[in-house]
Amino acid sequence: MPKKNLPRRDLIDPEVSDLLKEMEQRQIESQLPRRDREKKARERQKIAARRERRATYDLPPEIRLKISDLSDRLSIPASQLVTLALIRFLDVYENGKLDLGPYKLPSRSPRYDWNLVFSEPQANIRKKDKK
Amino acid sequence: MKIFSFANQKGGVGKTTTAVTLAHGLAMAGRRVLLVDMDSQGHVAISLGLQKSPGLFGLICEKRELPSLVVAARDNLDVLPGDKRTQSVQREFSRSSAGGAIFLEAITRSGYEAVLLDMAPSLDSLHACGLLSSNWVIIPTRMDSLSVDGLQEVIRNLGEFSRRGHPLEGYCILPTFFDRTTRETYVQFRDLTQTFGGHMWPPIPQDTRVREAPAYGSTLWEYAPNCLAMRGLTEGRKRIGGYRQILDKFMEVLDA
Repeated sequence: MPKKNLPRRDLIDPEVSDLLKEMEQRQIESQLPRRDREKKARERQKIAARRERRATYDLPPEIRLKISDLSDRLSIPASQLVTLALIRFLDVYENGKLDLGPYKLPSRSPRYDWNLVFSEPQANIRKKDKK
Repeated sequence: MKIFSFANQKGGVGKTTTAVTLAHGLAMAGRRVLLVDMDSQGHVAISLGLQKSPGLFGLICEKRELPSLVVAARDNLDVLPGDKRTQSVQREFSRSSAGGAIFLEAITRSGYEAVLLDMAPSLDSLHACGLLSSNWVIIPTRMDSLSVDGLQEVIRNLGEFSRRGHPLEGYCILPTFFDRTTRETYVQFRDLTQTFGGHMWPPIPQDTRVREAPAYGSTLWEYAPNCLAMRGLTEGRKRIGGYRQILDKFMEVLDA
């Protein structure tokens, strides 16, 4: 019996494969009735328009939950609450009213020099001083 | 050193544009590149803002040395140009096999990291010599049945050479003038991908800038470095194909 859990080797260039799938999808859509075609086109436009507004960041789960609860309570989209929070943060930061220093700890990442550590910033400072 | 030929029996599929763009891209990446015009139209020189001249004719028919014939086109990029006298080279190749040996020895001794041969749209003895000299063959093709027929002729030739023991390292098919909105493009692209699998490379999108660049004697890196043909198609947040991506793949082949 051949082993079924062996990964199948993809011989086609992944870019070519993606493009072919997308073109196949468009060909299928082109066979649909006009109303459905227009609906699909609108959906694609909507997705494309939202793409520029989308960002992915890692957040602590408790913050995500709090935003979600607040969104439910106030009946305001979570994205808009986060946008407001970021506007306020940037305003405060750019006016020099927020010092990131107490939160900063050196990072081992080759990409970044610092990590921000949010729990007990003063404790972090004390640890740093001891070093 | 690796020798690459750009071949398709059909004309107007983007052989010269692809050869010039990749040659200049490699040169800009610091590689020493020789681009040889094997076509009597001499369009490599025009694409780079140079005069046509009988470079290949001088090498084969007048037995002159390669360094005296090459023209410095850009930093790291030399060109062995061609003109209508390249047809005499073709006759010389038909008469005797010595021409092929002179050609291969000259470019092998030249010390370039990559030699790119821009082939004529034909299946004559000069074309055969180019293919036999190559380590790798890049077959640009439009997504239409005549161009695909031209590519099949080249692949038949490669199969024949392979049966006679010529050690070709690989080949790829490069879709050019790619317009993904037409059904014909889709059908040809699907059929070629089903037939040739991993030999298919991502496409170069249809772009007017490609036609304009030679009129200014400039390569696409100089004339329109961020045009569609350079950046590729947009697929979500990704870019697919375009000469920038193809240059990366080309360099992987060169360094393999």
